[in-house]
Amino acid sequence: MSMLSSFLLISAGLFCIGIFIVLSKRNAIQILIGIELMINAAILNLVAFGKYDNLANSGQVFALFAIVLAAAAVAVALAIILNVYRQYKTIDPAKVERLKD
Amino acid sequence: METTLSHTDIITIQLAIAAVAAPFVVFLLNFFLVPKRSKVSGMLSGAAIGASLVLALLIFFRVWNQPALHVQQVWFTIGNTQIRLGIWLNNLSVLMLLLVSAIALPVHIYSIAYMKGDERYTRYFTYLSFFCFAMLALVVMDNLLLLYAFWELVGFASYLLIGFWFTREKAVQANKKAFIMNRIGDIALLTGIMLVYTHYHTFDLVTLFGAHPIKTTREVWVTIAGLCFLMGAIAKSAQFPLHTWLPDAMEGPTSVSALIHAATMVAAGIFLLGRVYPIFDSTVLTTIAVIGCFTAFMAATIALTQTDLKRILAYSTISQLGYMMMAMGIGAYSSALFHLATHAFFKCLLFLAAGVIIHEMQHLKHKHHLQIDTQDINNMGGLRKIMPVTFITCCVAALALIGFPLTAGCLSKDGILIQGFAWAEGKSWAYSIIPIGAVLTSLLTAFYIGRLMFKVFFGESRLEGISTDSEPEAHEENPLLYLPMILLALGSLFPLFSLDPLKFENAWIVKGFAGFAGKAESAGELIPLLISALSVGVVFIAYTVYVKQKLQWLKFKGVLFNISYNQWYIDSFYNGVIVKAMVGLSRAVAWFDTYVIDGVVKLVAGIGLVLSRVSAWIDKYLIDGFLNALTYFVKQTGNFIRGFQTGRVQGYLFTMLIIVLALYILKTFI
Amino acid sequence: MSINQILFYVMGFTALASALVVAASKNLVRSVFMFFVTLFALAGLYVFALADFVAVTQIVIYVGGVLVLMLFAFMLSNKETLNNLQSKGSKFITINNMAALLVATLFMIILVNAIIKAQPDHIGWIQRSLRSDTPRKDNMGNIGVNLMTRYLLPFEVISIVVMMALIGSVHLSRKEEHKL
Repeated sequence: MSMLSSFLLISAGLFCIGIFIVLSKRNAIQILIGIELMINAAILNLVAFGKYDNLANSGQVFALFAIVLAAAAVAVALAIILNVYRQYKTIDPAKVERLKD
Repeated sequence: METTLSHTDIITIQLAIAAVAAPFVVFLLNFFLVPKRSKVSGMLSGAAIGASLVLALLIFFRVWNQPALHVQQVWFTIGNTQIRLGIWLNNLSVLMLLLVSAIALPVHIYSIAYMKGDERYTRYFTYLSFFCFAMLALVVMDNLLLLYAFWELVGFASYLLIGFWFTREKAVQANKKAFIMNRIGDIALLTGIMLVYTHYHTFDLVTLFGAHPIKTTREVWVTIAGLCFLMGAIAKSAQFPLHTWLPDAMEGPTSVSALIHAATMVAAGIFLLGRVYPIFDSTVLTTIAVIGCFTAFMAATIALTQTDLKRILAYSTISQLGYMMMAMGIGAYSSALFHLATHAFFKCLLFLAAGVIIHEMQHLKHKHHLQIDTQDINNMGGLRKIMPVTFITCCVAALALIGFPLTAGCLSKDGILIQGFAWAEGKSWAYSIIPIGAVLTSLLTAFYIGRLMFKVFFGESRLEGISTDSEPEAHEENPLLYLPMILLALGSLFPLFSLDPLKFENAWIVKGFAGFAGKAESAGELIPLLISALSVGVVFIAYTVYVKQKLQWLKFKGVLFNISYNQWYIDSFYNGVIVKAMVGLSRAVAWFDTYVIDGVVKLVAGIGLVLSRVSAWIDKYLIDGFLNALTYFVKQTGNFIRGFQTGRVQGYLFTMLIIVLALYILKTFI
Repeated sequence: MSINQILFYVMGFTALASALVVAASKNLVRSVFMFFVTLFALAGLYVFALADFVAVTQIVIYVGGVLVLMLFAFMLSNKETLNNLQSKGSKFITINNMAALLVATLFMIILVNAIIKAQPDHIGWIQRSLRSDTPRKDNMGNIGVNLMTRYLLPFEVISIVVMMALIGSVHLSRKEEHKL
């Protein structure tokens, strides 16, 4: 197995673990961590392919941008979690179901 | 107006119209304006009929034995046919005009006093005026259609007057019976009129039966038409077999019986026969004679045993009408009309007297608190002491009925008998039954009227505890009651009709109808004298039986008595067979209507109901069920899908991922 | 097996294992700290992909910024929140976990399937790049030049996005003026 394939497999594994965390945790911050994990898996994927682009370094540039976006997302998400906590007095997403039909 | 008439003729026609219209005007006045118990109604009616009498006299002297007057006008047109109406004044018309008004006037005067105190006084005179109008119009019409119309109106007036006291059950049944029996005759009359029109295409009496009457040919239809006219006359004049209504018609007031059922309406049948006389061929004439003779004999036998005063007089009327019909049948046209006129006088008088007697009996009943039938002659007796005027006038009338010499009745009856024998002469022996029957009937007449006179006026009172010597003078105090009776009594004597008391041919009536007169027998003097003698003998027998109470072998038992007393069981036969058959038939039809026809209707309705229930069930369970199922399905689908909106974010994400996975799996592996 | 490969596999394994611990741990603090480890391992992996600048950036921004932010966020929050951390469930396999596990496994299978099918070794441009092996010098400089020339627009846009995120999060988390 080549290095590229290994990179891709690791990236896939992290991504799936991230999905598992997002789907099964009861804490909003843990879900946030899961999201971060997914984003990191994607960044790993980008960087793995970017190894073969010496000219434009597109993979790495894209990875930089993704890191920045991930940070922005975390900031905004924390602000949202704070508001949700203020409103519902809990950060368990299963408890926030006022939009239920 | 077809031909130009002279001035006097026009006046005569106008007088005739006035004479007919006067009672009609009074009828309208009484009907609409006069209050219920006012005396004005009686005076108005009396005045109207008095005016009619005066006018009739005037017309009579202008038209009698003059050429007949006839005026016409077009009434309506159907297609190419014109129907005309008008007035025909010949000897017969003016005689009847005079007779009707002359009899009606005394009856009106008598009624003013007789009906005093009655609840519906005005209505009585309304009906009486209506009847006079209809009868007077009947005799002057020249058109078969209008004759029929007034014939019906006369019958209708009779119905109204018989049932005048309509609160009594018997009166209501009697007037129904009279009307229905008259109806049977009217149907026959209408058939006859239609037959005549079909063959001659005219309703005009003058054309058909006037100065140049139609010739009857030996055709069947002529006989049938003649029989139809005869049937009409039988019903109206109460001959066998349609005679049973007349005794029951005595439920009306006695003055009504006097006017209508003795003198005028029942004479309308004879008048009709006189009008259409030329249409009768020999078969029909023989039939008329047979029926007349049989009726006369039968009615006389029934009158022998009746106990109700008015019923005896009713059967006497039937019998005398039989005489008149028989006279018509044997060709003695003038004698029939002569007898009509004289009979009117003395029969009317007898009825008026009966009214006074019944009033007196009611007076006795109230005074002594008895419970008796005031019309039963077995409760009367010795009344000559308290009612002398009534007694004397009744005697005159009775003698006229018997045919005693010096009375007018004698002349007319003699004429019939003599002409009867002359008619049977030269024919087979069977034909002579008729004149012999007439003779027997006249003897029976003598007996029953003698019985009536003796039982009512002679002897002592049959009521217990009352002696007629001590009773005061009765209702005769009222001149309005006994003046008419005296006038009629005078009319029953011979001078009114003939200046010669012995020969009937010299009566002016007979001379007036000489064109139709039959033969006269040579031995004409003998028969009437013989009969008069026999009648006197019979009266004496009656005297012995009823006054002296001897000769009791004429017992009240036996088959003949029962037959006579029960009116030959004819009435019972009609009630038991014919009436029951009709009622049964109508019940059957009613049953059919209720169960079959209504059953079908109800069945259809039931089917409709069942169908509606079925469709309601279908609507409720199938259609609504289908819709309900749809909505249920939609609701359940909605509920199911709604379940996906849990409000939990992780659930949403889970669903999204599952779908993506499913898509990918489907795309790559399938 | 050269030392490169061994090191590479160790890094990879560390990343995965720490990620698993993050997933399996119920304690929030523990999971955050294990995430630290994951991020460090990832940075090591980036080095193996010849992306040194990205690795450093990852450590600086991600570990030093984002993770510290999260630590601050829940450390400085209410007591109830901290108390809520350790109470939930004792079992690993619950209903929710089963579904998530299923989905994750399926995804794994599909991704692996896609990777195998894609045959990344045989993609055209990768092989060309391998053959024309121009040596890499001044990786960072190259990135800088590319950022300023080729990727200028995304660069500016990203800066605006960051500014929006900043303003937004500040606004969202402000205190209410009038308390009832």
